[in-house]
Amino acid sequence: MAIVELKDVTYKYPLTESLALQNIHLKVDQGEFVAVIGPNGAGKSTLCYTIAGFVPHFFKGELTGTVEVAGNESSKSSLHEWVLNVGLAFQNPFNQISGAKYTVFEEIAFGLENIGVPREEMIQRVEEAMQLTGISDLADRSPYSLSGGQQQRVALASILVMQPKVLVLDEPTSQMDPIGAREVFGVIRTMAEKGMTVLLVEHKVEWIANFADRIIALHNGKILLEGKPQEVLTSDLLANKGFGISRYTSVARRAKDLGLWKKDSLPVTLEEAVEGFA
Amino acid sequence: MMDNIKKEFSTRTLVLIPIAIAINIAIGELVVRLKLPVYLDSIGTVLVGAIAGPWAGALTGALANLIWGLFNPFVAAFFYVAAVIGFIAGLAGKRGAFQNETPRWVSVLVGAVFVFSLTLFVLAFSNASTDDTGFTTYPGMTELFSRYAVIFVVAILIGAAIGYFLLQKGGYAGLWGLITGIVAAIISAPTAAYVFGGVTGSGTDLVVAAFRASGAGILSSVMAQGAVSDPFDKMLSFMVVWLILRSMPARFRAQ
Amino acid sequence: MNTFSMYVARESGLHKLHPLTKSLLTLLLLVAGLTLPGNWTGYILVLFIILPLALWGQVFRNFIRIVWGLSLPFILSVVIIQSLFWGKGTPIFEFWILAPKVEGALFAAISVGRIILVMAGFILFAMTTRPDTLMISLKQVGVPSSLAYIIVTTLQIIPRFQSKASTILDAQRSRGLETEGNLFVRSRAVVPIILPLVLGSLVEVEERAIAIEARGFNSKREETSLIEIPDTKTQFIVRRLFFMLMILSIAARIAWQLSN
Repeated sequence: MAIVELKDVTYKYPLTESLALQNIHLKVDQGEFVAVIGPNGAGKSTLCYTIAGFVPHFFKGELTGTVEVAGNESSKSSLHEWVLNVGLAFQNPFNQISGAKYTVFEEIAFGLENIGVPREEMIQRVEEAMQLTGISDLADRSPYSLSGGQQQRVALASILVMQPKVLVLDEPTSQMDPIGAREVFGVIRTMAEKGMTVLLVEHKVEWIANFADRIIALHNGKILLEGKPQEVLTSDLLANKGFGISRYTSVARRAKDLGLWKKDSLPVTLEEAVEGFA
Repeated sequence: MMDNIKKEFSTRTLVLIPIAIAINIAIGELVVRLKLPVYLDSIGTVLVGAIAGPWAGALTGALANLIWGLFNPFVAAFFYVAAVIGFIAGLAGKRGAFQNETPRWVSVLVGAVFVFSLTLFVLAFSNASTDDTGFTTYPGMTELFSRYAVIFVVAILIGAAIGYFLLQKGGYAGLWGLITGIVAAIISAPTAAYVFGGVTGSGTDLVVAAFRASGAGILSSVMAQGAVSDPFDKMLSFMVVWLILRSMPARFRAQ
Repeated sequence: MNTFSMYVARESGLHKLHPLTKSLLTLLLLVAGLTLPGNWTGYILVLFIILPLALWGQVFRNFIRIVWGLSLPFILSVVIIQSLFWGKGTPIFEFWILAPKVEGALFAAISVGRIILVMAGFILFAMTTRPDTLMISLKQVGVPSSLAYIIVTTLQIIPRFQSKASTILDAQRSRGLETEGNLFVRSRAVVPIILPLVLGSLVEVEERAIAIEARGFNSKREETSLIEIPDTKTQFIVRRLFFMLMILSIAARIAWQLSN
């Protein structure tokens, strides 16, 4: 059952000539974990903004085609209602802190205050969100005193607490150190295992190879390829287009050229590479 | 009209305002650290006016003063002055003062006129004479010119130089700044005079003292002090914002 | 709390008062002090109302220190300037060219009363009221939440910008920017610091706007609040009282002006 459906979506930012998205057809089923990869300028962030409703409501510009989430169409809805359907988190954890609250607990509750959730329910939902993201011990800290990884988890908790139907994440670990990245991935994985529909834009190809149900490769605003991680990440279509293919794949591809790689399919992860070379 | 006002307060503007106020304070302190004889504490306010419009600028100014007032209540009393500064900056923005380039000769003219008026002003006050009934008379223009011809010529030259080097192509913005400064001086004087006894607790009080010594009443002295320091300060602030906006890529300006 | 405020946390009765009660009290003191006819109301209010309140609020020591520190420049200026430059009047003494006048000193004394009143009132309020609870209480009486957002956010980010400015100053210095020397040299240091500071901050604006929109910031639904601020019936009545007293004070002033 598709919970997200984009039909022939084309979008142009205001005051620009080039199309950020061209004829995008995309379906995501409930509970699916879809990863989006692509070089810079491919339209990954634009895609995130489009599903989250910021295109067209926040950015204006020209959007054609339909964007549907849970049966609602984004252009027919207002942004402040749409954000209840789709939760959005992005790269810079610092910019996602509202600044309006002095403690992490209040910061997470901020969204619920805005949409008018009664106090008892608020407290309950915030505590749940903090448990999910592993930050219950940070409840009384100032959001500005946290590490990048902690801040990003606060941002995630702040979005999860709104109980969106779909979670869209635009490179949430790009600005993080390895520890922070691992913490954030842990949370995403937990959410996915709980059945949340997740769309994740990510560069760390090894990680999504292990966890994504499906990968979409975006290039110049168009969907170049989509399918199972194995198929997409080892496809020759992606070579030399700036996709940052996993080093294991690259090494194995070279080995294949030299006749040293015996298997049919190329590896994406370390385990597969080790297996293949054994 | 309420719709027009509301339109100025988009989410972007609401996010911008705290940043602008923080910029006010940070730059205000920077200038003190560099020991410069200016305030430059309205750059954020002018910026919001220029980018988002007069009402947003006015709110920024008012809030900036009220918030700074949490630390120094004196500043808070002048919130209405800051609001007016932000408002005028918005008007200037709507008229393109921050986007257009003015030919150098206009800037030169603005600078020259400014310093000339300033000199006229100062000389008039310092040559005032008070007769026994307490009535102060100020010398006439022709009298001043003949007595201080050299000073006036030097003043015009200095003003022209300021216009050329400092204002450069932002003469229009600088002019708006000047006007704003004069208005600010006038409307802040009553509060300074009545509530604070005519002093600001800073070095500019010496200027007030000088004017008082010439026989001027308290209100006039305070106004005169403001007229000497505020226009220059606001002119500079508008100039800096002009510079900032011209350094921004086009995508940001489209708001 | 690393925010830009004078708030000092204490368990005092004054601290526990509802923020609106305290706001109205401060306003009343200011209005009364500045409008009631009479020259010495400032001193009276400070001595008999504000100082005892400071004691109750357990912030007396700090309070005196801060009020004194902030008022001193004004006091000195006003006493010196208004005494010495009063123009025609009766001299207190004559020494060389200095002849402070009685009228000037008197005017200064009256002004000092007003200055201290304004300073003390504001400072006591700031020291005993948490900014965010103040904002919440203002929201409850109809102040738009966007205003509350702006004020609290500003307080939290000011320290960050102060240090950003310092950082940029140091960075430019290490690249050869001269910040000491004559006026010319120092003036030229201003723009290379302001420009990066402002431009760098403007870049954040868009993402931060998106982030709060994603948290329902523009929701048309009625807002709720996580924090509850304790209030009492007494305070409710007292606030109405304060408001009426303010009106009375202004009316008294107008009446006095008219009869003179």
